[in-house]
Amino acid sequence: MIGSIARKEFSEIVRDGRFKWTAGIMVLLLLTATLAGYQKYSGYMRIQQLAQGESNTQWLKQGDKNPHSAAHYGNYAFKPAGPLAFFDTGISNYAGTAIFLEAHKQNFAIGRPATDQSSVGRFGDLSGAMILQLLMPLLIIFLGFTAFAGERESGTLRQVMSMGVTNRQLLWGKALGVGTVVLIVVVPCVLVGTFVLSMANLNIVGEGMGTRVAALSVGYLIYGGIFLFLTLAVSAWAKTARTALMVLIGFWAFAGFLAPKAASEISKAVHPSPAFGSWFSDMRSHQIRGLDGESPWITVEKYKVELFRKYNINSIAELPVYWPATRMQKLEELDHPVFDLHFGKIKSSYTEQRRIQDRLGFVAPTLPLRSISMGLAGTDLIQHIKFLEDGEAYRRYMVSEMNGYLSKAAASMNATYSSSNYMRADEKVFSIVPPFEFDPPSLSATLREHRGNFVMLIVWLAAAMGAALFAVKRMSVEKG
Amino acid sequence: MLEAINLKKAYGNMEALKGLDLTVNSGDVYCLLGANGAGKTTTINLFLNFIEPTGGTAKVCGIDVTEQPLETKKLLAYIPEQVMLYGNLTAMENLRYFAQLGGHDYSPDEYRGFLNRVGLQPDAIDQRIKTYSKGMRQKVGVAIALAKRAKVLLLDEPTSGLDPKASNEFSQLLLQLKADGAAILMATHDLFRAKETGTRIGIMNEGRLVQELSTDEVSHADVERIYLEHMHAGDQYSQKVA
Repeated sequence: MIGSIARKEFSEIVRDGRFKWTAGIMVLLLLTATLAGYQKYSGYMRIQQLAQGESNTQWLKQGDKNPHSAAHYGNYAFKPAGPLAFFDTGISNYAGTAIFLEAHKQNFAIGRPATDQSSVGRFGDLSGAMILQLLMPLLIIFLGFTAFAGERESGTLRQVMSMGVTNRQLLWGKALGVGTVVLIVVVPCVLVGTFVLSMANLNIVGEGMGTRVAALSVGYLIYGGIFLFLTLAVSAWAKTARTALMVLIGFWAFAGFLAPKAASEISKAVHPSPAFGSWFSDMRSHQIRGLDGESPWITVEKYKVELFRKYNINSIAELPVYWPATRMQKLEELDHPVFDLHFGKIKSSYTEQRRIQDRLGFVAPTLPLRSISMGLAGTDLIQHIKFLEDGEAYRRYMVSEMNGYLSKAAASMNATYSSSNYMRADEKVFSIVPPFEFDPPSLSATLREHRGNFVMLIVWLAAAMGAALFAVKRMSVEKG
Repeated sequence: MLEAINLKKAYGNMEALKGLDLTVNSGDVYCLLGANGAGKTTTINLFLNFIEPTGGTAKVCGIDVTEQPLETKKLLAYIPEQVMLYGNLTAMENLRYFAQLGGHDYSPDEYRGFLNRVGLQPDAIDQRIKTYSKGMRQKVGVAIALAKRAKVLLLDEPTSGLDPKASNEFSQLLLQLKADGAAILMATHDLFRAKETGTRIGIMNEGRLVQELSTDEVSHADVERIYLEHMHAGDQYSQKVA
């Protein structure tokens, strides 16, 4: 019974002119987005690898110099993208792609693609994710809004309901019919996308690609189901197909455009990000005056005294470690908690904002889905923060290795220390520090992080189904 | 087969049906006559359980339609003034869909058999319904009733707007169904058809069944005279109230 309803619904939709146009446009856009996205992604990855390689070479070939100066010369960390970034660009257009790593300073990520875009860029990239998030619901609405309302207007609903079919059977049948049409449009594009993905070099940043694609498919499938049942609910409830279409387009615009914007504004109002000026001056004053109000220079003096007592000596010349390097490292380490505190404030404000946006998922199903999608694609805030953390950890490691080498290797120069008499090191020393490698959040951590969003999507699906069942139960077969 | 017992339907203060008692037996073609708004369509909608009665019961083959609406719908077929079908599907596909909704399935040849029996041209069977005339659609409606093996037919002005030939063909189909033992309730304005095809005639006015006739006891002229008498009486009554 449900099968025959679905089959009839399917043939009717497929023979309708509406279908040919919308499906054609949808397929064209999806394929374009997939292929263009893949091209863009592979271009980005080529540049990223080239730039990282170049920077690593520059680090090694920077010329013979004092290791601490080498730490000043620094290196760059370039952010690699996971292969799924071609499907969902997430925040990567607005987040930086590189961090300059140098002694004494924790820098912001630079190189935001959005700064090079015209105002058209504000509409977002034509990515597979964007099409599935915005246009797939539109396709579902266009194919499904007449499901009940149209049949009621044309009078076939009376005929159908006189046959002894239950409203529920009709609902499931129509859901199956419309759903199959949507899948026939979307699935081939997804398969092309998956094929393209399989050509990518998955070793870069792509743990559990199969699971990621599967989890993304589940997420988008639930998302499509939500719009399918909402469409059928509204179609059964609305008096005319026109009303149904208007209500559904209204909800679509709300869910797709208004709700994400509003969620972002609300999250910023609740957890404002620190203003740059005061944030920076607070950090500087902590660096200069010390976190606990003790100047770093005094702390370093105390440290020296401590070392004298430890080695039972009275002068720098007797120290078994090279004092300028040891002192530099001590100063560096005094900055760490200051950076952790202040960069942590920015990080936690963004994290809190993201949490609030996730919690607002009950407002529109697009919110949890968007979060899941960029999370699994590895283009979300969590991934970016991990990149910043990895970059900073690498910077600290690089600086401490250089200072550490110097403090041991130049230990005998304590007595003869002067600005013109210092130790020089070469490539062999600089190569103590291996190239930077980004370790993105694990798949299991990502899935754990998005458990709530998946639950939210399932709640949405259940609510949409409930609404549809309720609407068909009370459905009138009469016009007007 | 079809039974209304003190059946009532009111919309707010407006009483559309004021206590209808009616029985249609197997082999009967019961024609409901009456002006627009007399309660004919309301009666049919109540038997279809499309609307809830405000009093009384409607039964199909002894089953109360409000208690087991799905069971009773399986027993009856409904042919409205304009049989509504899916324009983008062929007659064959429409018939198959509705037959399956009614819980039946047949071979393609059997479906063709139903459509041939109602007199649809064989070359039209695989054409989309949107190219069909009204007469052809009504024939598909009857084919659906045949495929459903309905014991009871509810017809709501099924021949209005049909040309005389199509109307005659439709009546012939009804007579076949009657001969097969169906119970038929038909709302109509066509006094001539009512006398020709009907076995009994019920005249309704303002929600009441005011007179029942057996067609073999009256002439065409009698039917028209009696009908008009009731309509005039109704008008005078309305004028008095006004």
